[in-house]
Amino acid sequence: MRKTQDQFENLLTARSRTELRALVAGSGIKITLPQAQQVVAHAQSLEPVVQALRLGIVHTYTSDLLNPWLDLAAVLQGLKLEPYHAPYGLSPHEAQEDSGLVTHKPDLTLLLLRREDLHPDLAKPLVRFSRPQQETLAAESLERLRDVVGRFRAQDVGHLVLTILPSALSLGLGIYDAQSERSESVWWANLKARVGQYLRESVQASLFLDLDDVLQQVGRQAFFDQRLWYSFRFPFGVDAAREVAHRVVSIGTAIKLPRAKVIVLDADNTLWGGIIGEDGVHGIALGPDYPGNAYLDFQRRLLDFQQRGFILALCSKNNPADVDQVLKEHPHQLLRDEHFAARRVNWLAKADNLQSLADELNLGLESFVFIDDSDHECAAVRQALPLVEVIQVPRQPVHLPACLDSVARLEVLSLTAEDLVKTELYAQERRRRESKERAEQGGGDSREYLLSLSMKMTIGLNDSSHLARLAQLTKKTNQFTLTTRRYNEEQMRAFICSRDWLVAHFSLADVFGDSGIVGLALIRMVSPERAEIDSFLMSCRVIGREAESAFLHTLLRRLAESGVKEVMGSYIPTPKNVLVENFLPRQNFERCADGQYRRDLVTAPAKAESEFPITVEVGTSR
Amino acid sequence: MTIFEQLREAIAATLKLPPDSVTELTRDEDLAAWDSLGHINLMMALEQTFDLSLEVEDFEKLRSVPAMIEYLKGQGFE
Repeated sequence: MRKTQDQFENLLTARSRTELRALVAGSGIKITLPQAQQVVAHAQSLEPVVQALRLGIVHTYTSDLLNPWLDLAAVLQGLKLEPYHAPYGLSPHEAQEDSGLVTHKPDLTLLLLRREDLHPDLAKPLVRFSRPQQETLAAESLERLRDVVGRFRAQDVGHLVLTILPSALSLGLGIYDAQSERSESVWWANLKARVGQYLRESVQASLFLDLDDVLQQVGRQAFFDQRLWYSFRFPFGVDAAREVAHRVVSIGTAIKLPRAKVIVLDADNTLWGGIIGEDGVHGIALGPDYPGNAYLDFQRRLLDFQQRGFILALCSKNNPADVDQVLKEHPHQLLRDEHFAARRVNWLAKADNLQSLADELNLGLESFVFIDDSDHECAAVRQALPLVEVIQVPRQPVHLPACLDSVARLEVLSLTAEDLVKTELYAQERRRRESKERAEQGGGDSREYLLSLSMKMTIGLNDSSHLARLAQLTKKTNQFTLTTRRYNEEQMRAFICSRDWLVAHFSLADVFGDSGIVGLALIRMVSPERAEIDSFLMSCRVIGREAESAFLHTLLRRLAESGVKEVMGSYIPTPKNVLVENFLPRQNFERCADGQYRRDLVTAPAKAESEFPITVEVGTSR
Repeated sequence: MTIFEQLREAIAATLKLPPDSVTELTRDEDLAAWDSLGHINLMMALEQTFDLSLEVEDFEKLRSVPAMIEYLKGQGFE
């Protein structure tokens, strides 16, 4: 009792919301209800909340007792919870335009359903039903669910989060259940898989929040408070209420706040036990025995986060060769060179290194999560870079593997193909850079280096098979872009279909990998002899490889071949695109009196492909 | 801290009220926040603050500060 009281009072010494959040997540302290209210008050006194989180709750059991826990979880993330609890039940009225729910304009709507809401027969023992009857029951339950979800999705109720309350009773067949051909747990696992698939494939902005996983985490005894369940229709014990609220607010965090993208890791006593510079590669704790096995599991967990789409980076005060040796030679090290998108192994201040990592990765500091074991380093980074989420790893290695599990900003609501290869793209880029540095140190010139990459550019002309990516490029590119004009997919399709426009994109492959589509040019034919560059842009990932010039000159050559005699271009300055201020003059465009740029293709023909260190292939599909 | 002081702190924090709005004689009808929902929250707060376990049957009996103090004394709290 004394110990938890001390831990609790320690929470109230936090000087920032991020610190408070890290303390709550890291201490594992089970906050009581009165304490929760005190933490909320303390958090509110530290900094104002960033945003409101409007939450709609549709429920077939008591839900308002969740409020204090939702408040706590929200305020820790910098969100102000504004809940609306619909009238008890699954009334079709709540899914209508003028309902209390719809007029609340929720960012997130939580459906708290019981099993029997899917089908009245689910209130009876499942094992009574034969296999074919069980299959019919599954199909009908899914149909009912589609109907309910579809009706809410048809309204603007924000992100739709579906939950199904586990049974308060343990399995009907007891310990024999899993082996029975009428197994209840197998039936539910199967139904959940179908629910997940349905939401994933057919329902925009939706999530199946699996309460069975909460039950597994806290245990059935703790999940249900039988007193509250049977007397007030509120199922959750305090541990479950805290956890359900945390998960719901994590979804809100992903919707409302800037996304975390990078996990920056310290090395000594974080990725392994001990200090590599003192203990040596064979002296650090990493391997099958305690405490090395805890560090190993933590590394495994970090690879899981990579699968969620986060990129990993290293920031360690060490001799680079020592860390390198662990990454390359340690038999148990799971995180190898290729898992890190960027590295800072040196003796500089960590805040400076984080800033330079942000520059290198071209990501804002608000997307950084920094993990370190040292009080001093954590405090220094919190102080210097308040945007960075700092998490101090627990002192006992056994608590390390799970220490990031309750960090809300490391939850994701969807996964794209791009997320899965993100680190790979960054890692390719880092190997390119390192190869370039080696070439320069060896006295070779950059031309030689570029040739060593064996680059191959593939240009697509008027190709409508990548509309989403082309539109995304106009929306996301801020630095290497002449005019920063944003277009959506429909506009892009119209350009491609029009005879007056040339839409060209390129992708770039080299010995390290393929970049995907990274450059776009939109050229308007003003007359048969005159063309105008409406947009010319490129992802920063491929800067410094002469791709922009090779791309431009290929287009200029094609325009000349089709009879164009002059090409106009313009530079529209923004706070972010100073990088291309002189791009057109450097490509021998002349500045005209009106500020536009002009290149005469007759007197100044475009450069030949052989002048660039890139092989170009042009495909067309109009 | 006396039982009453601990109780006052827990009740005030749970119902989000200033501590001096809770006296040794306060009962549910004196405080708007002490409604049926507030009462369940108070029962949870009581359990968690004093590390004890109440039965549903106790809930109805504990609708005032004097009743709570008496109950806690019966449980051996001084």
